[in-house]
Amino acid sequence: SLEDLFASLNRHIERSEFEEAVRVADQVLSISRGDEDALRCKVVALVKADDVDGALSTIRSSKSPPADFRFFEAYCLYRQNKLDEALQSLKSQERSSATMLLESQILFRLNKMDACIDIYQNLPKPKIESVEVNSVAGLVAAGRASE
Amino acid sequence: NPIVLDLAYNHIDFPSLQHRM
Ligand SMILES: [K+]
Repeated sequence: SLEDLFASLNRHIERSEFEEAVRVADQVLSISRGDEDALRCKVVALVKADDVDGALSTIRSSKSPPADFRFFEAYCLYRQNKLDEALQSLKSQERSSATMLLESQILFRLNKMDACIDIYQNLPKPKIESVEVNSVAGLVAAGRASE
Repeated sequence: NPIVLDLAYNHIDFPSLQHRM
């Protein structure tokens, strides 16, 4: 049943068996076409299995992609180093911590350090030290380490 | 070279499947 398939999918996710998760998500989708939970699981599992190309083509072949797929798409473009395309995609999205982090990472790669730092300084108070690490990396790269 | 961590990756999350099982 669909419930059994989702239980199996959930088990694979918990065990970080991402390729298996993709296989079961496909089984769900063959029964329940366009199922958003299965589609979302498939895209995330493909990213976690390092199949960014597969994730992107899954996103793009989905008939009515849910809103958060836009973020996944921008992330995949970033991973493919299609930085301008990724930025364009982000600009059409509602701003969140996730979109801001991704935007700052793209700007870092584009060597636009001042813009990159600007985003870090506008992020909601860092909950994790890693945000500080990236912010400092930007400052160092911009020759503004004293800040 | 300064290292930038891929923090955006942490925002690529699985949905909760509790209500589907
Ligand atoms: K980077």
